[in-house]
Amino acid sequence: MSKQLKLKIVTPEKLVLEELVDEVIIPTTEGEIAVLPEHIPIVAGLKSGDVVGIVNGEHIPFAVVGGFVEVKYLPEARPLSARGLASGITEVVILADFAEHVSELSDDAVTKAKARAEELRKQAENKEVVDFEHFESELERALTRVKIADKWRTRKYRK
Amino acid sequence: MTGTKEIKRRIKSVKNTKKITKAMELVAASKMKRAVSKTLASRVYANYSWELLTSVSAKLEEVTHPFFTPARNATHSVAGGENKTGKTLIVLITSNRGLCGAYNSQVIKKTILKLKSLENEEVDFITLGKKGDGTMRRVGQNIVASFIELPDIISLSDITAVSNFLTSEYKIGNYKKVYVAYTDFVSALTQKAQIRKLLPVSKEELKEVIDGLDSPKALLLENPQSKALGSTYLFEGDINKLIETLAEKLVKMQIYQMLLESNASEQSSRMLSMKNAGDAAGEMINDLTLVFNKARQANITREISEISAGMASVS
Repeated sequence: MSKQLKLKIVTPEKLVLEELVDEVIIPTTEGEIAVLPEHIPIVAGLKSGDVVGIVNGEHIPFAVVGGFVEVKYLPEARPLSARGLASGITEVVILADFAEHVSELSDDAVTKAKARAEELRKQAENKEVVDFEHFESELERALTRVKIADKWRTRKYRK
Repeated sequence: MTGTKEIKRRIKSVKNTKKITKAMELVAASKMKRAVSKTLASRVYANYSWELLTSVSAKLEEVTHPFFTPARNATHSVAGGENKTGKTLIVLITSNRGLCGAYNSQVIKKTILKLKSLENEEVDFITLGKKGDGTMRRVGQNIVASFIELPDIISLSDITAVSNFLTSEYKIGNYKKVYVAYTDFVSALTQKAQIRKLLPVSKEELKEVIDGLDSPKALLLENPQSKALGSTYLFEGDINKLIETLAEKLVKMQIYQMLLESNASEQSSRMLSMKNAGDAAGEMINDLTLVFNKARQANITREISEISAGMASVS
């Protein structure tokens, strides 16, 4: 078996995903990066978009908004992954404000998100600066959901 | 007969009270369960953000971010030295509703003690929850903001307003210190009112907060070798900006965590006090039933003796 890396997606609400994958594509503030096993340790800011884990050529897409990504190399395998991985493992931790698997972005939810985005945009226009940040993050969240759901609608992905 | 009727009525009313307290206990129990599971879920994120910060901390010394060093006014450009002119801000987390034992009074007592120790400083308050808000208003403290419409099940977006207000006020140098008074959820039976310094962030205290979460995960993450590798991190983008956003997230995360802890504490102390009330009601019912039976028996004895006395006088 070829080398794999451990992908973890964590939000304040819960641990969204913990899985071994072959490759992961991450949208950072400086542009998209692809991380393969034994990647150099790196810390970067996360841009809203989609994090895609790739296992056996299958894509596992997640819509994420805001946060950080940390890639590190764990020299010792953890007790859980001790079998066959004695030499250590690359771990990719994604700390996102919000993360959702694309399949959870059902059409219904997306239309709702769309409507909400529009509504928020209108509200934001009338609002004073005080509430703006809140609206901004809400708006970004809604827009990202729409964008990512649209992007993956016609593509194949694994649940 | 009038005596027994009265007692009967009292028993009935106590029984009703018992039903109500029982229902409240159950509601609090289920709410507590949810609050506790939320608290645990957010600990993973807290742990990782802490780890990220330690990884970054190798470079932290060269970063002068207001969150990490005492806030300074624009005029005080000298590094170090605390901002003497700034005020102190206390965030007080209490419940919206009563009937939860000593939960609110404990955290308020703690806050008032803290106020005494800060006697010659100007203190402003942000209150979360009606109970603390009311008390602080009565005491005559200056409340700059009060958030009383927070739902029972809080989500991170609910506290965006709180954390934004706090960080922006701090950044412009209005305050030199920010404390949070909250209730730490130790277990379902013990909760501890606590006051923590939120800003400026000192690394030791931040560590304390996250160690305080003491999940087994924290031990797993304490991998000395991975820490040693920390200095070899590659940073993408502007490190100052990265640290700033990370620090802001951490502040928000801490408030969120404290709110969750407080919420879990509130529910469990409500559950406990309702359980006590229910037990007391049960005892009262037992006592009243005993009194009722005695009265009934006395009545019967009296009637029998009256009848037999009547019969004796007739024959």
